[in-house]
Amino acid sequence: MQEARLISEYTELLTRELSFDRSLSRGVQQEVEDHLREAVAADPSGQGPDAERRAIANFGDPHVIVSEFATLSLAKQTTRAGVITVLMIVAVFAAMKTRVAWYAATQWPIRDDWTAISRTIGIIDYYTSLSSVFIGIAACAYICSRRTPIAFCPAYHSHLRRWLLICVAAMGALIASVISDGALTVLRLLGGNLSAASLIPVVSMAIEIVCTGIVVFWIRSALRRTATVAALMGT
Amino acid sequence: MLKGHLDMIVLAALSAGPAHGYAVIVEIRRRSRGRFDLPEGTIYPALHRLEQSGLLASKWVISESGRRRRIYALTTRGETALGERRAVWQQFAEGIGGLLRAKPCKKPA
Repeated sequence: MQEARLISEYTELLTRELSFDRSLSRGVQQEVEDHLREAVAADPSGQGPDAERRAIANFGDPHVIVSEFATLSLAKQTTRAGVITVLMIVAVFAAMKTRVAWYAATQWPIRDDWTAISRTIGIIDYYTSLSSVFIGIAACAYICSRRTPIAFCPAYHSHLRRWLLICVAAMGALIASVISDGALTVLRLLGGNLSAASLIPVVSMAIEIVCTGIVVFWIRSALRRTATVAALMGT
Repeated sequence: MLKGHLDMIVLAALSAGPAHGYAVIVEIRRRSRGRFDLPEGTIYPALHRLEQSGLLASKWVISESGRRRRIYALTTRGETALGERRAVWQQFAEGIGGLLRAKPCKKPA
């Protein structure tokens, strides 16, 4: 069963190198295996180990193929991460505006001795949330500004690093905004009477925290995948 | 040079109808009369890239041999893109053909 072993070894090598993207590596393994077995079956010399070797040789250098797949996988993930970051920032912004509108509608009180500190936190909140929106949009525009190359190269790696830096800046502003939102919400809740109406600020804060968690998760995944692929490609 | 036109070549090979990766390679060889003998593995990233761009669609089927097989087909956008690339290529080929056919002018004395 040398034939089966040669094909398996080749497809396992591809799968191992693409292991950072499990669904892609599984699909590629099945496609390549199907291709190689078709090539062996079509070989006029029969189905021996030589036909197997020829099929593998005709298929090409696995590192070149992995490099092209890795670039595709990264491009897909970074685009998704960029879009999700912007959507989550918008969701946080909407939750914050809803809460502020709710405070205004219900004339939610705040203790007089906390007015000064809440004003300071409010200013921080305003600028950090605005910054997160603009930096998030900039990150999305930056990643879409360059066409994905066919194979992973140092220039594309630098482009991704700059994009990740912008994303981390947007994420930092978002986290600062959500922390200041949280502080303001605590001040409001402590200053008023806790009732069913308190659920609106609590739920809106929970939405903000979940959205921020999603942004952190996606940017962290993009950072890890970029590092893995760069290490794999030796750039 | 061939690599720069790989997407167009793959789209053209699939214009005959849905096919799996190996059949695409066979079709490229057949239609180019063996002139385009690419490393076979290079078409898979191209197929995936074209699918991500919405020019191809794919589905998994079970082949007669019992293996899972991915079949690719042109989408409507893919057909449009192929038509556009074909027109650009024909213009380019006519331009180059005209240049190469033209007899050189005599140099002034």
